Amino acid sequence: MAFSLYQEFYKLSHRKLTWIAPLVLLILMILTGLSIGYNESKLLMTTCYNAPDWIMLILVIVGSTTFSMEFQNNAILTLLYKAPNKILVYLSKYLVILGYNLWLHLLAILFTLGLRAIPMNQSMSWSALYRYQQPLWENMLKTSAIDVLTTTFIISLIFLLSCLINSNAIVISVSLLMVFMGQFISANLLNADRFTTVLRWNPFNMTNLTRQYYNYTTYFDTSHLLNQQLLQGTLSYTLLFIIVGYLIFRKKRF
Amino acid sequence: MLVVQNVNTYIGRKQIITDATFKIHPGNIIGLIGPNGAGKTTLMKTILGLTKFDGQIRLNQTTVTENQHTALTKVGALIEHPAIYPFLTGQQNLTLYAHDPVDCQRLISKLDMSTYIHDHTKDYSLGMKQKLGIAIALLNNPQLVILDEPMNGLDVEATIGVRRLIHQYAAQGTAFLISSHILSELQKVMTQVILINHGRIIVNQPIAEFEQFHHQAYELHTENSQLTVKLLSSHHIQYTLDGDTFQVNPKSIFEIQDILSSQHVRLKELTPISSSFEQIVVHLLHQQRGGDQHND
Repeated sequence: MAFSLYQEFYKLSHRKLTWIAPLVLLILMILTGLSIGYNESKLLMTTCYNAPDWIMLILVIVGSTTFSMEFQNNAILTLLYKAPNKILVYLSKYLVILGYNLWLHLLAILFTLGLRAIPMNQSMSWSALYRYQQPLWENMLKTSAIDVLTTTFIISLIFLLSCLINSNAIVISVSLLMVFMGQFISANLLNADRFTTVLRWNPFNMTNLTRQYYNYTTYFDTSHLLNQQLLQGTLSYTLLFIIVGYLIFRKKRF
Repeated sequence: MLVVQNVNTYIGRKQIITDATFKIHPGNIIGLIGPNGAGKTTLMKTILGLTKFDGQIRLNQTTVTENQHTALTKVGALIEHPAIYPFLTGQQNLTLYAHDPVDCQRLISKLDMSTYIHDHTKDYSLGMKQKLGIAIALLNNPQLVILDEPMNGLDVEATIGVRRLIHQYAAQGTAFLISSHILSELQKVMTQVILINHGRIIVNQPIAEFEQFHHQAYELHTENSQLTVKLLSSHHIQYTLDGDTFQVNPKSIFEIQDILSSQHVRLKELTPISSSFEQIVVHLLHQQRGGDQHND
């Protein structure tokens, strides 16, 4: 397992995309700060300048290419026969992307601390109370922690799709569509006001977890689930997608 | 070392390999030959636990299954195309799999890759990629190396270098299973031949034995051709006659000698008609196809 993890980490750390992505994240955070920062300083600090959406975008691209690069470079056969079993290949890829996800969130927090210090927006005190009667710093840390769960759910979905589809471009397109359109698909399903008790558990609805946490009143009407229920749904779907993704990977013919 | 026993491989519901049984011992260099689509690559993938199969594959007494590759830690392979990441340099591609940096450097110099090993592999030619793929297969002192068309894209010097390297590793006990369509090249290295057609192994023999047993015909000269014709006909032995030269089946040569000797007809010449390795293989494949058609 240790050697498989080392190999995955080695590949990830030698890809240009891995290092360009944080720069893109910073630029997008600055742009967000410049566009809505004047009115929404507290919201920006809570959400790390809308980092959840930007990190999701980055993870879709990096995560989608994790498997497709193996298929396209004919490396999957070597990877598979050199590993003691298939689950190690799958898990080590998953864990390394999970580590990258955590690293991106950590960077987003550090960037937020830096951006708050520069005179771009009206600077709010970290101890100022905001959502759930908690200080901003607590809101930010909790939002980031919850977003790690949302993005982990997205990674599981991307891995499942990557095992179904070999083409890099198609996996990225489908993943982006599901991640960013999923919320609208779910909202439309639930707007019909039929079978809401069942349909609110659809997987697309789980993409609302982070947004609902920092903006409960708006998003509860969309998701029809409590924060706690969304969290349970997200964790359950994450586990389900990991298992189904692995089963597809295991049966896949290379 | 490697035991393949009654292995049947399936892709989907289609059976690709039927009842494959053979052994590979340390230091053996097995040439796996057969026409396109015969099942060579599938057989190699099966040994590497990459396909669905039944039967038994054991490497050093440890069983290999589709999802249990622990036995393959000392196996290197180059299957279909070299497994190379274009965003890494040649050196980094090797480092990714290498357990010993010294072994890695030794391979780089032996395969004469030092001048470009630090360049990104996206700029490599086909031959350079192929050499890197072979180097990856030879990393970590493997006990068994599986090479699928290793000479693809290699120039003359590289081909000689790879051949030499195979001999060196084999001398130290590494076994090789090599498939190639360039039979002349394979002939220079292999010690044993496995001929496969339609997923069935039709020949599995040491190369010397193979060449000896599969000569297609013998030329026969006797001091009395007319009597020889009579004797062969009366004993229902098949022959063709061209002037005074008989051409006979290798299976009949001992019987012919006995008959002629009993009638005091002396032999002037009995020699195998030399066939190239290529001709023998083609002949065997034709023979099998004929058999298949006959069976159908």
